[in-house]
Amino acid sequence: MKIKTQQFGEIEFNEDLIIYFAEGLFGFEHLHKYLLVKTDEELFYWLTSVEQPEISFPMIGIRVIDEHYPSVENNEAFGIVILNRNPKDVKVNLKAPVYINQDSKSGFQKIIDSDKYPIDYNLFIEEK
Amino acid sequence: MLILTRKLNEEIKIGSGITVKIISISDNTVKIGIDAPQNIQIVRTELYDKVKESSLQAAKSIKEKPTGFSKLKIKKID
Repeated sequence: MKIKTQQFGEIEFNEDLIIYFAEGLFGFEHLHKYLLVKTDEELFYWLTSVEQPEISFPMIGIRVIDEHYPSVENNEAFGIVILNRNPKDVKVNLKAPVYINQDSKSGFQKIIDSDKYPIDYNLFIEEK
Repeated sequence: MLILTRKLNEEIKIGSGITVKIISISDNTVKIGIDAPQNIQIVRTELYDKVKESSLQAAKSIKEKPTGFSKLKIKKID
């Protein structure tokens, strides 16, 4: 299968790599099939819609931010990232993580009901 | 929209799996209890809207490559 993405141009992939979101993402309930794309040199993952490839969400594995983040068995938690040229303005949504099970190739998004996890967490701080 | 009137402690059933109960009523606040299957997401609408807006911004930001973060580190939560 082939799709044309904004970041990587045309990519070809095997259909068994598609991750199925039965409920979709909040606000994107009509999209169910995604690819999780990662390049070696980058920190970020790209959750790219197979059905609408112009839609792609930058994400980061939340484990690099918080080792104690609420876990779901066999799933990895990702935060959707708002990128910015100025790294200090790069923000991660820790309030509504995306959980992905790579074995069953399924995913879902849920809201964590805790003030500890903001929707606009600043990803970077200056090294001291 | 279906509109029903309920008194304190009265309930509404939605389908076979969801029950909504009026827990308390004060001047302009109603406390609602909801019993629903685990796979049903229950979300305050304003929070849903915020999450949607944030995801839309994220999808629009894909060309904004952050540069010069060699002097920065990832902020961790303890």
